[in-house]
Amino acid sequence: MNAATEGSALAGRPAAHPPARGPWRARAAWALRLAMRIGLPVVSILGLWYLAIGFSGLPEFVIPRPEKVLSVLTHETGFVTRHLLVTLRAAALGFLLANVVGITLAVLFTSLPLFNRLLMPAAITIRNVPYVALASVLVLAIGDSLWTKVTIVSIAGFFPVLVNTMRGLRSVDPVVLDRMRILDVSPWKVFLLVRLPYSVPFILAAQEITGSGSIIVAIAAEWMISSEGLGYVINRAMAQYRGDQVYAVALLAAVLSYSVYLLVQVVGARINWHEKSRPDR
Amino acid sequence: MSADIQLRNVSRRYGDTLALDAVDLDVAAGQFIALVGPSGCGKTTLLRVVADLEQPGTGTVRIGGLPPAAARRQRQLGLVSQRPAVLPWKRAIDDVLFTQKATGRAGMPALGLLRDFGLAGHESKLPQQLSGGMLQRVNFASAIAHDPQVLLMDEPFSALDEMKREELGLWLGAELSIRPKTVLFVTHHVDEAVLLADRVIVFSPSPGRVLADIEVPAARPRTAAFRSAAPFVAITSRIRSLLFGPVRAAA
Repeated sequence: MNAATEGSALAGRPAAHPPARGPWRARAAWALRLAMRIGLPVVSILGLWYLAIGFSGLPEFVIPRPEKVLSVLTHETGFVTRHLLVTLRAAALGFLLANVVGITLAVLFTSLPLFNRLLMPAAITIRNVPYVALASVLVLAIGDSLWTKVTIVSIAGFFPVLVNTMRGLRSVDPVVLDRMRILDVSPWKVFLLVRLPYSVPFILAAQEITGSGSIIVAIAAEWMISSEGLGYVINRAMAQYRGDQVYAVALLAAVLSYSVYLLVQVVGARINWHEKSRPDR
Repeated sequence: MSADIQLRNVSRRYGDTLALDAVDLDVAAGQFIALVGPSGCGKTTLLRVVADLEQPGTGTVRIGGLPPAAARRQRQLGLVSQRPAVLPWKRAIDDVLFTQKATGRAGMPALGLLRDFGLAGHESKLPQQLSGGMLQRVNFASAIAHDPQVLLMDEPFSALDEMKREELGLWLGAELSIRPKTVLFVTHHVDEAVLLADRVIVFSPSPGRVLADIEVPAARPRTAAFRSAAPFVAITSRIRSLLFGPVRAAA
């Protein structure tokens, strides 16, 4: 895992790095492409936004103007940041817990089939219970606390991790398992040195879902039960007809979720042997 | 180092199908035995029984006097599978080292082994970056890196084209003259069996029984020139007539 390999895993994407050498023309073209990549979505989103304001005839608090939304982020920075941190903490802890639970259960289910038959139905049930119902029950059980939110986020996120990890642990090529038996490698070492690495690409794929989902779920949980966090801000803003705040939170949440998604991609490309060993690199 | 292999009355049944029917086989230490026969004749099953990957229904197997499980635990067995059993995230050198670390046997320097296997300059490549032939060489290197006494091979060249197949086969023959091992080599390729082996065991279709045990009277390692020698031609046509009947063998 040297630096050259890690870098090249990302090199396939366009406009990721400026051309190292070459005439200014090439560099200018690259800069232009990058500006277009960032600029065009902004222009199109703003365009649609203003069109919606112009043609819908809806009041200001339902569709505020983009500059008002941005001014929430620039003028009420302290307020937004405080609640943002609350949300991020719940999302991050829930995300971690989802992974711990998902991976642990997957290991348990694949190594002891009895657990699979015993607990998988429960896992599927918990996964399919509406969060609203769960949130209500959890508030009664633990009250409006950080851990209520963490529990909701992890319940919403553990299932993709569980299913993917199980699939990964079972994806080992049978000829590799034959080899391990011939070499008399202990089951524990087979797990650590073979099954777990085989499941890395699968676990990483689950993070794209669980990672970006945890922000959204944390906000939803706060919207239902909490007295702080971005979800609470939405709730409060609606009561005060502050559409601009709602939009600001929505924008922030979307950017955050997308950042988490990108982070997973970047970090994933560094540790994913499957990506690294692709022949086109 | 090598050990003799002895099979007595070995049978294996899958449900209602008898895969192996009372097979007796004696392999002297250092001998190269090719097992040929039509698909489903139980030759792979026999290999897996010797490798302790499957248990025989009846009969006994002894490797250097030991039951297969004991031989396996003493790390006396090496297995070359049809598909490479390399770890997809390991560079060639690390894959060979994996075998040595797992078995605690590092008799042969891994780097030197890869060089001997014609992989100089490719030591730090990942499986996906290697051609089929090179990957199979890595597979070989990893399979014998702990210097096992017995080498079990299940159609190791079947994924390669005809030219690569012969080239790797002859190279394997030369390699085994440097590091002698007792070899069981499963193939459905008659020419390959006769070119490489001291003895060719011909299996009947299911249930697998030993049809013939044919000695190849020529010293190993051999060269491609052996293909045009009289014994080669005689033995291959005899095996073909055993396998396909006299009419198709003549065609």
